[in-house]
Amino acid sequence: MKIKLELFGASRDFSNKGHLNLEIQEKASVYDLRNEIIKYLDKNFKGNESFIKVVKSSAFCSENNEIISDNYKITKDQKIGIIPPIGGG
Amino acid sequence: MLHTKIVDSKKEKILTSSAEKFIKDSKFGASVYFLGTVRNINDNKTVTGITYDSHDEMVIKSFEEIYNEAHQKLDIKDKAVFIEHAKGHLNLGEISIIIAVACKHRDQAYVLSRYIIEEIKKRSPIWKKEHYENEESEWLKGNPIANEKF
Repeated sequence: MKIKLELFGASRDFSNKGHLNLEIQEKASVYDLRNEIIKYLDKNFKGNESFIKVVKSSAFCSENNEIISDNYKITKDQKIGIIPPIGGG
Repeated sequence: MLHTKIVDSKKEKILTSSAEKFIKDSKFGASVYFLGTVRNINDNKTVTGITYDSHDEMVIKSFEEIYNEAHQKLDIKDKAVFIEHAKGHLNLGEISIIIAVACKHRDQAYVLSRYIIEEIKKRSPIWKKEHYENEESEWLKGNPIANEKF
């Protein structure tokens, strides 16, 4: 399945396009997606520790703008947002 | 009555006058304006500006949820609330957020204003990248997003 991962906050440093195109297996979960992002960072940023820390501390949100937990099953190609720790105001 | 908006700093600025127009009503006897502005020092570093990033749809949704909760949790039924948050680069002193509330009485207005800003800090997906005098910049650490289902 194809995932368009939309980047926000600190994760914007992962790419200058504002998103990553990732490939995950059928019926993968958000947990698997998280690992796929870490693999991408290992490959493209030599496992940059601060980037990996961002991924590990992030939440994810669905196309419907709902927060989805690690055990959420991704059933189709879709857009998912990565939500690093927040701090507005 | 609620107004929410993400204001793109490249196109426009947050204006207190717009908030005043929106919340003004003779049925309300108390108004509170909260403004967040860009400060020149953070963690002993000299800040020259901040770039704000936002997941716009989720931010607007969180503002609406917070507004609706005020009715249930704080029992403030009659109210006008104006919330705008900036997105993009801001210079020192510029307004990053405005929360203007109008209620019948002052105790409600103060409570509501405080409730909204504290909930936004916990729940609205907004990020800050600080810029410093030595040309460096850094995304601020932040806190994991609070979500009841999470």
